[in-house]
Amino acid sequence: MLRWWATFALVIATVVPLPAQRPEVLVSAAASLADVMGTIARIYEMRTGTRVVVNTGASNTLARQIAAGAMVDLFISADEAQMGTLRDEVVANTRVDLLSNQLAVVVPADRPRTLRSARELTDAAFRRIAIGDPAAVPAGVYAKAYLQQLGIWPAVSGKIVPTASVRLALAAVENGAADAAIVYRTDLDAAHRTSLALAIPLAEGPRIIYPAAVIRSGRNREGATRLLAWLRGTEAAGIFKGAGFIPLGQ
Amino acid sequence: MPTEILDIAVFTTLAALVATIVMLPPGIGLAWVLARHQFRGKAIVETLASLPLVMPPVATGLMLLWLVGRRGPVGRALAPFGIEIVFTPAAVVLAMAIMGLPLLVRTARAGFEQVTKRYEQMAETLGARPWRVFTTVTLPLASRNILAGALLGFTRALGEFGATIVVAGSIPGRTRTLAVGIYTYTETGQDTRAAALLAVSVTLAFGAALIANRLAHVD
Repeated sequence: MLRWWATFALVIATVVPLPAQRPEVLVSAAASLADVMGTIARIYEMRTGTRVVVNTGASNTLARQIAAGAMVDLFISADEAQMGTLRDEVVANTRVDLLSNQLAVVVPADRPRTLRSARELTDAAFRRIAIGDPAAVPAGVYAKAYLQQLGIWPAVSGKIVPTASVRLALAAVENGAADAAIVYRTDLDAAHRTSLALAIPLAEGPRIIYPAAVIRSGRNREGATRLLAWLRGTEAAGIFKGAGFIPLGQ
Repeated sequence: MPTEILDIAVFTTLAALVATIVMLPPGIGLAWVLARHQFRGKAIVETLASLPLVMPPVATGLMLLWLVGRRGPVGRALAPFGIEIVFTPAAVVLAMAIMGLPLLVRTARAGFEQVTKRYEQMAETLGARPWRVFTTVTLPLASRNILAGALLGFTRALGEFGATIVVAGSIPGRTRTLAVGIYTYTETGQDTRAAALLAVSVTLAFGAALIANRLAHVD
């Protein structure tokens, strides 16, 4: 019996929350940044000795967590709308535009095609076009805005397949369920059976912004401020560029 | 297997195990009450107990987040003791336990309903107190169903995603579970890692579901 209780206590001890032993910075970052933020965390710890813990998820989920009082130190959102819902949670004057991204049209690799303009999506060859759900997924919001800006939204809206995330839009093209998808340029490096049909020029496409801000309910405001400054510096810019993002710098 | 994948597999199994231990006392109690007692509002208790089964897991997660978040009623009560739930392994266990509970309650309740009341009455005539009757007669007779229910709850806990990602997040080495890991790796195009987790997930779930089904159907 005693041994059983000892085992039980050990198991409980492994999951019960303990106060952090040393100061760390807890960053909530949009799911699309999960990979690059892992690299950032490793290098930042090497340079400064400060541990960076990264929590990833859909930006709207991350925003809900912060609104509920989660002790997040730094928030990097995939769009401005989600950051905008946290006006009361953000430390004044810390919000910056950290990164930008570019939209791209992808097609299945076995039917490669190059487009001169996204207007060609009205072509009958594109029977189904996958984009992130424009009601919730930032990439979908941007894609819809761009198609509207081109004036072809009414013509293509019947062909749109909304997906729960931008990755699923890409997957729809990969497995042949859709003839094209509008995704981020950064999604492409990881794609295997897709081919780039058109990279929408930065000047022409929607302004895609990943805003970052220090959060008030965090435990390590100073650490978050220092990390944010580093994220805007040259070394971090190189890492972000390597992953396909466009650093917006100082 | 890379250590990262192994860590996630071990953590998920351990968390699901603790979640099962945590859900056992309330689960058995609730199952027994529902099987053996009639009272006003029983239908409401019954419905509440099966709510996590029918609600979207994300909705359950949002409710938990509201409850245990630092601004929620439970979170506020725990704050003076320095206890934080959100983003900790405790949040993983909590989400898993809540999602697994209905399966345990349903299966265990069926077990209690099958126990012949006469055996309990006999124990009483021999002078056993209610608690002793429960622990030495009722519980052993229903044990097979309780075990099957616990295993079902465990399998549900193993695969829990929606509520976990909302209350616990996806922090590598701290709260990232199999299901959440598969999501995160898929979102960043790390297909090999996602596939490795998928294989682990299928193996674990297959084994647990196999045992649970055997326990529930074989007499």
